[in-house]
Amino acid sequence: MTIGSKQKKSVWDMTKERLNSVMDTLHLSRGLKEYITEPRKVVEVSVTVKREKGDIDIFKGWRVQHNTNRGPAKGGIRYHPDANLDEIKALALLMTLKCAVTGIPFGGAKGGVAVDPATLSKNELENLTRRYTFEIINIIGPEKDIPAPDVGTNARVMAWIMDTYSIDKGYSVPGVVTGKPIALGGSQGREEATGRGVVYSLLSALKVHQIDTTDLAIAVQGFGNVGSNAARILYDLGFKIVAISDAGGAIHNKAGIDPHKAFKHTEEAGTVAGYKDADTMGRDGIFEVDCDVLIPAALENQIKKSNAGLIKAKFIAEGANAPTTLEADRILNDKGVFIIPDILCNAGGVTVSYFEWVQGNDAYFWSKRKVDLSLRDIMEKAFYEVYEVSKERKVDMRRAATILGVERVAEAVELRGIYP
Amino acid sequence: MTDNNVWQMTLDRLDATMDLLNLTPGIRKYLRTPRKILEVAVTVKMDNGDIDIFTGFRIQHNTNRGPAKGGIRYHPDVTRDEIKALALLMTLKCTVVGIPFGGAKGGVVVDPKKLSLRELENLTRRYTFEIINNIGPDTDIPAPDVNTNPQVMAWIMDTYSIDEGHAVPGVVTGKPIEMGGSLGREYATSLGCVYTILSTLKVKGIDTTDLDAVVQGFGNAGYHCARILYDMGFKIIAVSDSGGAILNKKGLDPYRVLEHKDKTKSVKGYRDAEDISPEDLLVLECDVLVPAALENQITEANAADIKASIVAEAANAPTTPKGEEILLKNGVFVIPDTLCNAGGVTVSYFEWVQGNLSYFWSEREVKLKLRDIMEKAFYEVYKVVQDKKVDMRTAASLLAVERVARAIKLRGIYP
Repeated sequence: MTIGSKQKKSVWDMTKERLNSVMDTLHLSRGLKEYITEPRKVVEVSVTVKREKGDIDIFKGWRVQHNTNRGPAKGGIRYHPDANLDEIKALALLMTLKCAVTGIPFGGAKGGVAVDPATLSKNELENLTRRYTFEIINIIGPEKDIPAPDVGTNARVMAWIMDTYSIDKGYSVPGVVTGKPIALGGSQGREEATGRGVVYSLLSALKVHQIDTTDLAIAVQGFGNVGSNAARILYDLGFKIVAISDAGGAIHNKAGIDPHKAFKHTEEAGTVAGYKDADTMGRDGIFEVDCDVLIPAALENQIKKSNAGLIKAKFIAEGANAPTTLEADRILNDKGVFIIPDILCNAGGVTVSYFEWVQGNDAYFWSKRKVDLSLRDIMEKAFYEVYEVSKERKVDMRRAATILGVERVAEAVELRGIYP
Repeated sequence: MTDNNVWQMTLDRLDATMDLLNLTPGIRKYLRTPRKILEVAVTVKMDNGDIDIFTGFRIQHNTNRGPAKGGIRYHPDVTRDEIKALALLMTLKCTVVGIPFGGAKGGVVVDPKKLSLRELENLTRRYTFEIINNIGPDTDIPAPDVNTNPQVMAWIMDTYSIDEGHAVPGVVTGKPIEMGGSLGREYATSLGCVYTILSTLKVKGIDTTDLDAVVQGFGNAGYHCARILYDMGFKIIAVSDSGGAILNKKGLDPYRVLEHKDKTKSVKGYRDAEDISPEDLLVLECDVLVPAALENQITEANAADIKASIVAEAANAPTTPKGEEILLKNGVFVIPDTLCNAGGVTVSYFEWVQGNLSYFWSEREVKLKLRDIMEKAFYEVYKVVQDKKVDMRTAASLLAVERVARAIKLRGIYP
C-alpha cells in the first residue's frame, strides 16, 4: 500500500486504467499486459546543490524509462515543485504509446526534479541540472535514453545536459538530448513542431471527411507555444481563427482574428485579453463559441462533463496532453464530434525531436523545408494508420491510436523475446 | 510493523544522533536522503510459457567514503522503505569499522521458493542486467542477504563479467571460494562478534573466558558464535532456534548440538540438555547473551529480567529502543549491532580487496586482519563512550555520522 492510496486515484492509476481498458480487448497474455504497463526502470536520485547562501540543499529527481523495445527511451524532463513519481510514470507510458503511434523508433521515458526553478539563481539552476545529469548519466545516452525540454526546462537546460554528458564522455555527444539551441545542433522547426503537427493532423481529418475548404472557423484554447503556432500556421493556410484564449481570458471575433497580431499583443500585455480587434470574454467562453474546430492547447482536463455539452465544434484536435476527461470524451463521441487524440495529434514535437536526434547522430543538418515535409509525411502516415484501425474495428480515434500503439509495442516485445 | 515505520524509525534514530552534533540543515538532509534509488522491472520467461514481472530495487545511500556496499535479498515482503533503511544502516556500519565503503541494499519482491532453478537464474541475470550500469567493483558491490547465496552471487558475477568482456570478481562478495570468495567469510560475522566480546572483557578488566554464554539463534551466525566462544573456553549453557531452546548449566558442545540439529532440524530434544522455552532463554543467569536471531527480541517486556552483564548484538536490531533503555539503566553493557556484527561486511571488504588484486589470503591472515579491524573499531567507539559519556550505540552512530559528514565536507559538492 502506498501512502497516497487513501487519496483520490493518482494520475498513474488513471493512465493504467485507460490502457487496461484497451488491452482487455486485445489478445495479450497476462504477462505481456503487465510488461506493457509497468515501467522498465525507475531511477530516483538525490540532486545535491551548493546554494548561494553556503549550505547544501537536496532535491529529488527522477528518470523513468517505461519501455525500450522499439528503440531508445525518449521523453522530457520537467522542473516543477509538484513533480512526483506517479506523474512521471504516467507521462513515460504515454510517451511509449505516442512514439509507437507515430512509428518513430523510440520507447517512452520521462524525468523530473521536484524543484521550483524560479527560486534558484541561474548558477544554482545550472548546478542542479549538471548534478541531476551526472546522477542519471549511466542510463541516458543517444542510444539509451534521450531527454528533451518539458515544463520548467528549455533549450538552455538541454545545452547544460549535453555539455555535462559530453565532458563525461570526453567528446561532443549532441544526440544525448533534443530541444537544444540551434547553435548546438537543434533542429530547424522544432519550436513550432507540435503546433505544425496539430495542423497536419487536422488537415488529414478534414480530408477523410471530404471537407476540402479552408473556410472554417477555428477556436484555440491556450496561446502558448502549441496554440500560437497552430493558430498562425492555420491562419496562413487561409483558415479563420475566430477565438483564442489563455489563462488571462479569451477573445472572439466572428470575422476572424490575425493570430500574428494577437500574439504581439500577448507578448506586450501578458494575455490575449484586451486585444483590440476582438471582443474580450471570460476564458471559459472559448468552449461555447460557434466554430468548426476546437484546438485545446493548454492544460489537462479542460474539456469536462460541465462544458463538453456546450462545445459546437465538429472537430477537436488535442494539442495539449490529456485535455479531455473520460466523461467528456463519452459526451463528445455521442454527439459525433471527431476527436484527434493527443497521442496522435501533438506527436509533432517528439517527431521533430526524432529528426534532431537523427541530425545530431549524423552531424548533418536539414533545411526547414525538409523538416516540415518529413514531419508531414510522418503525421499523415500515422493519421491514416490510426484512422484505418478506427474504421476496421469500429472504435473512436483515441481507442484506435492506443490499440495501434499497444500492438506495435507488443509485437516488438514478442519479436525481441526476453533476456536472458 | 508497516514498512513505513522501518524507514521512519531509522530516520528517527539518525536524527537523535545528528541532534548531538553541530551539522547544517543541508548536511542533515544529505545524510537522511539516499543518493540513488533504482526500481526496475525484472522480466522473466516462466516455465509455463508466459512472462512474469517482478519488482527489483537497488538503493545506494551514500558513496562519500567509497563504493556502495550491501546485500541483495529475495523476499515477497521486500519494500522500498525497508531497503532504504537497510542501505542507511550499511553506511553507518561500514563507517564504524572504518572500511572504505558507503552503504547500499537491494532486493527483489519474489518468493524464490516458487521459482524453478532456471527461473531463479534468469531472474538473477535479468535483475543484474537492469542495474548493471550502477554496480561494479568501483561503484556498488552487492553481497548475499535473505534468500540469496554464493550461487546467486556467482550468477551476478558471471552476468556482469560477460557484459564487461572479462572476469570481474570484485563486483560481488560472498562468492563461492572457487570463484574468488574469501576464506573465513562463512563465520566472519560470528568471529567479529566474538572479538568485540573479548574487547569488552578487556575494558572491563575481566581476564578469563571461564564465563557462561547464552546464544539465541542457531543459524549461521548463532552456531558459529557458539562454536568460537566454546573453542575459546566459554561455557555455552543455552542455545535456541525457531524450533525451541535447550539448557545445560554444565555447558553444551555446539559441534554436537549442530549434528543433532542437522538430523532433527532443531536444537530441541538434544539429549545432553533440558528443553526450555525460548522466552526463558533470554533471561537465564549468564555473563554474555548473544542475540543472533531476529530483530526486536529484547523489548520492554523482558529487558528488566535479563541477567547477562554483556549483550552482544550479532543479529540486526535485536533490541528495541525501550528495551535498551532498561538494559542500560541496569548497567548491562550492550555491544550494538553496527559494531558487533560488522565482521561480515569486513570480510566482504577483504574479499573485494583480494578479488581486485587477484591475490588470495590464507584463513589465518583473514582472521588476524579481522581482529585488527574489529578491535580498532571497538576501541574507537569506546573512546567516544568515555569522552562524551554516552552509551555504545550512540557512540557508534556519532562516530559514523561524524566520519561521513567529514567525507562530504572534504569532497565538496559536484559540480
